[in-house]
Amino acid sequence: MKPAAFEYHRPDDLPSALALLRAHEDASVLAGGQSLVPMMNYRLAQPDHLVDINRIDELDFIRAESAVIVIGALARHRTIQSSPLIAERLPMVAHAYEWIAHAAVRNRGTLCGNLCHADPASEMPALMQVLEAEMVLARADGTRRVPAVEFFTGTYETARAAGEMLTEVRIPTPPAGSGWGFEEVSMRKGDFAWAAVGCQLRIDNGALVDVRMAAAGVGDCALRLRGIEAALEGEPPSADLFAQAAHDAAEALDPPDTAAVSADYRRDLVRALAPRALTAAVARAE
Amino acid sequence: MSSHLKSNVIPPSRQREKPRAGLTWIGQSIKRVEDPRILTGKGGYIDDVVVAGMAQAAMVSSPHAHARIVSIDTSKAKEVPGVIGVYTGADLATVVDPCPSFASPPVPQHAMAIDKVRHVGEVVAAVVAEDRYIAEDAAALVEVEWEVLPANVDIEASLEATGDAVLHPDDRKSNCALDESFAFGPVEADFAAADRVITRRLRWNRSSAQAIETCGVVAQWDAFKGGYTIHANTNFYSFIPFVIGGSLRVSPGELKMIPVLTGGSFGSKVFIHKIIILTAGLARLAGVPVKYIEDRLEHFTNSDSHGSDRLYDCELAVMEDGSFKSMRFTVLDDYGAYLQFGVGTHGNAMAQVTGPYRIGSFGMRVIAVLTNKCQQGPYRGFGSEVTNWVMERMVDAAAEELGRDPLELREQNMIQPDEFPYMIPTGNIYDSGNFQEVLGQAREMFDLDTWRAKVRAARAEGRCVGVGVATCMERSVYGPTEWWSLNNRETPGFTLTSTPEGISARIDPSGKLFVTLNSCMVGNSPETVVTQILAERLTVDPADVVINYADSQTGFNGVGPQGSRFTAMVAGACVTASIRLEEKLKRFGAHMLQRRPEDVELRGGMVAVKGLKDQEKSFAEIALTSSFFRLSFPDGEEFDSGMETTAVYDHPLSTDPHPEREHLGIFYPIVGHICHMVAVEVDPETGKVEILDYAAVHDNGTIVNPRTLGGQVWGGTANGIGTTLSEQFVYDADGQFTNPNFAEFAMPTAHEMPTNFKLGHVETPSPYTEYGIKGGGEGGRLGAPSALTSAIEDALRDRGVKIAALPVTPPILRGLIRDADAAAVAAE
Amino acid sequence: MDKVAIELTVNGRARQALVAPRVLLSDFIRQQLALPGTHVGCEHGVCGSCNVLVNGVAVRSCLMFAVQLDGAELTTVEGFGGADTLHPIQEAFWEEHGLQCGFCTPGMLAAASELLAQTPDPTEAEIREAIAGNLCRCTGYQYIIEAIRSAARKLREARVETTEPV
Repeated sequence: MKPAAFEYHRPDDLPSALALLRAHEDASVLAGGQSLVPMMNYRLAQPDHLVDINRIDELDFIRAESAVIVIGALARHRTIQSSPLIAERLPMVAHAYEWIAHAAVRNRGTLCGNLCHADPASEMPALMQVLEAEMVLARADGTRRVPAVEFFTGTYETARAAGEMLTEVRIPTPPAGSGWGFEEVSMRKGDFAWAAVGCQLRIDNGALVDVRMAAAGVGDCALRLRGIEAALEGEPPSADLFAQAAHDAAEALDPPDTAAVSADYRRDLVRALAPRALTAAVARAE
Repeated sequence: MSSHLKSNVIPPSRQREKPRAGLTWIGQSIKRVEDPRILTGKGGYIDDVVVAGMAQAAMVSSPHAHARIVSIDTSKAKEVPGVIGVYTGADLATVVDPCPSFASPPVPQHAMAIDKVRHVGEVVAAVVAEDRYIAEDAAALVEVEWEVLPANVDIEASLEATGDAVLHPDDRKSNCALDESFAFGPVEADFAAADRVITRRLRWNRSSAQAIETCGVVAQWDAFKGGYTIHANTNFYSFIPFVIGGSLRVSPGELKMIPVLTGGSFGSKVFIHKIIILTAGLARLAGVPVKYIEDRLEHFTNSDSHGSDRLYDCELAVMEDGSFKSMRFTVLDDYGAYLQFGVGTHGNAMAQVTGPYRIGSFGMRVIAVLTNKCQQGPYRGFGSEVTNWVMERMVDAAAEELGRDPLELREQNMIQPDEFPYMIPTGNIYDSGNFQEVLGQAREMFDLDTWRAKVRAARAEGRCVGVGVATCMERSVYGPTEWWSLNNRETPGFTLTSTPEGISARIDPSGKLFVTLNSCMVGNSPETVVTQILAERLTVDPADVVINYADSQTGFNGVGPQGSRFTAMVAGACVTASIRLEEKLKRFGAHMLQRRPEDVELRGGMVAVKGLKDQEKSFAEIALTSSFFRLSFPDGEEFDSGMETTAVYDHPLSTDPHPEREHLGIFYPIVGHICHMVAVEVDPETGKVEILDYAAVHDNGTIVNPRTLGGQVWGGTANGIGTTLSEQFVYDADGQFTNPNFAEFAMPTAHEMPTNFKLGHVETPSPYTEYGIKGGGEGGRLGAPSALTSAIEDALRDRGVKIAALPVTPPILRGLIRDADAAAVAAE
Repeated sequence: MDKVAIELTVNGRARQALVAPRVLLSDFIRQQLALPGTHVGCEHGVCGSCNVLVNGVAVRSCLMFAVQLDGAELTTVEGFGGADTLHPIQEAFWEEHGLQCGFCTPGMLAAASELLAQTPDPTEAEIREAIAGNLCRCTGYQYIIEAIRSAARKLREARVETTEPV
């Protein structure tokens, strides 16, 4: 299990990196490497060129731009997890990190790298959809923004085109009074999710509003659960309502069906976890 | 005792050292001798071995479960700069013969496949190159043309396979590798007389040890001497030259096996002869020393160490008063593609198949099934972990059908303390025990009565909380007949009757005690226990004991750490060695003190005159004088120079099997006993199991080092928790191994272990081993699956869930709950 | 591919090396630096045996390329302490029987070291979380947890001693 040979590039600034990506269409970006390098060790990934962005300090940031938290391509999970700004403004993200990998992986891995890897069982792609984050894709001749819900297009597939780099993710701060919930079941703590659900909502005059929910592990990629959102919007919260909405959402899913983890089981998890996440969100909402 | 056992006479005990109180070193938790070098990164594992001019090997492995090799084109691979050679199975066969097998008759196996592959991961070609990166580059360029054959994955379906689906059509017409039946005692009569027969179909699925270090070999061919020098991380290095010499076409004496510190085995590195033969053959072909370290994928798919994979149809004959009369079962075992040890693990299980209970007769039909999976090998428990689970499942089932408390039913049937040595129907004996005391301590430690109240309260709240109890045997110190006693009578194979353990010991002129072991370290504590025992016996400071390891040419009588045998066996060798050294020290020392040998004793590293202070000579003085001043002593060979000895200890208690197999003789008699109690809560919506409380009480006889034994119990229990809740090899219908990696084969992390584990010990010494020591390396895994399964079933009692298969991963358990709920709805 | 020159500090010593870009840090440490204490267990980033400290941070050395270490400070198990100079964490592992086969131990030491640098008095839950990415097949973790708790105590006491006026 040794990687195939590649040409190594270590640009010191973003324009150089983008120029390299333009010059080498099959180049891979090396940020934390916690998903890419295992795939290279198995030779499932054999890029001819590797663009190491770890020396581009300008990509290593977490900052607030009024109501938006902006996280740069080099911000590592560990930094995000322990950031007071994230704890205050995006508590669901901070909380969800308890389920994501282990210390040494979080020390190196980056959020943007995790999103670009787009593992269908990874938690953050689902949370970015709940939070309606925007992905900023830069290329040598410009940038574009892609909403999270459009960014994830399939298993290990995203809207990122050749020559583009995800330089930052822009996450709107939830409106005041919002509540959130996050639930996950995996074999071991830190494993990829068999199913994970995250949600955010508000309560207005006793009714649920702005309900957003997404799930990981139950489709080709992380999914926004629009059916649940529609079923709850404007309704008063109740256990029966949550159970029915979760059941309907589970029925509508077409989750991966593998020898070890059946599609039925993943649907069961959505039935179990969605109401728990919603109940937690209601409790947190003001 | 049943009449069929009458010819199995228990020999008298050869124990020289009785268990006793007041020992200085035995029984102390001294810090391990092995640790400082390991803690500083200087352990010396197989991948640390560097030999001048060494090249690295990488393998080309089968992507198919079952296929004919139509052609192999190595031409592109050979052109890669840095490649020394690329070899196919046919090339390898020019220098090596097929792998050895303990099965009789054997199923032929080549270290590298020749015409056909029979499981994913089987090696078909190898590259030897300057480094592993280049070797893998070249391996990727080897082109193989395949003719894919039908894959056998299901254990029952494989038995019916015909035509191209038969794995070894030249040797066997079907995928049934062997089908043997046994009856010990009046099984038919006991079943006929029983009030009730409890019947269960039970399934134990495949997993393996997956030590964190994979297997590896560094091999050199010496063209001048015509022999090999081989480093390998096998448990079995002293014996292995005799096992593989034939395959390597050299006499065993020309095969020098050098042991290394082994990064965990749990049985899995006992039989690694396939990769030893493979690497040695490559070294001979390439003309350079070759290192081959399995990567994790290869270790999963090709290491010949998969665990038991069994389907039982089991019957327990009981009386209405709850007493057990007889047990019998038919077991299908998915051996994978080959059959390296024949009846193997089923023989091991026969050592304790009736558990701690009085059961008068026992019958078994074992059918070994060949499938397109990597073959089985030893794994902590060696099959006995499965029969423990089967026995305990049957007892729980009996309790339920009889309406009895499961613990009370166990107590009713348990062998009583005054019944030892107790001979079970297969002929093996339990040397000693006090199961009631173990159970009592566990009950107290766990606070079972309080837990039962808590369970009732939780159930009333609608929570799924339950407790489970397992009372199991932990056989240790196997005898040699285990290996072949179940082979068919016509061709029983190599009927060896020795499993010795030996050491050599020398006090050098500086007074240090140098000890050489013939067995390696695999994560056990060989240096520590030998140091403790010899320090005890020779009254020396443990700091003055230096332990080394012999290679296979300089040390021989050692079988190695396996079957929980090493500590008890090496203790015997230490006793013999120290008796001889003591005698010699006294002879020389007494001469120097101008006394008679009977007037002196060993005292604090000195030979001292009994009853007199200051009349003494240190071991250093005596050893120095005996080594360098021969003329200070009388003529005669009893004063030959030096202070050294070699000692071998043979199995303390084994007898031959009955010639007609009415019984198997005594072959695994030093038995421990374990009781595990566990409380769990199940989340019925997700199938997740949380361990709320855990107590384990083990009786391993006299304890040499409580802390290291505790480590074995803890680690074995963690292993058993994984076996029960999360570890399973998952194959798809094409025979693809879907989870051969650490991300998906889920071994417990620190998060999965119970936070309030309670560990207790009872010490019932063996009357047969020195000091009464018993083995204790497997017990955790021999008890945890039974207790946990029972607890989970108890937690879901109100929902009618029955657990008949392991593991119970959350998806599997949720499936059982879903089915039970649906059945309940249908019944209404 | 051409080799790249790198400079780094290894266990306090400045080192220079020429490395092919694809060489994993784990292989570089074991083979080029000839420091065999860093163990390779899975090469896919799960077992944690190959954990080392890069600039004081625990990382999987099988998931980094040696070329990335240019300018970095690397600490392997050999940098903790030697035969007569065991680090307090090594001592605690020895005393509490925190190792059996020892293969996972160097990675455990790295994880423990990072934890105790940040959290001098960790709870049991924090210790479990810190080592949850390090698989051990021998111990069942309990004595490792006890060792880290003991190491924390030793390190705290050492700190108190050094800050006291002489």
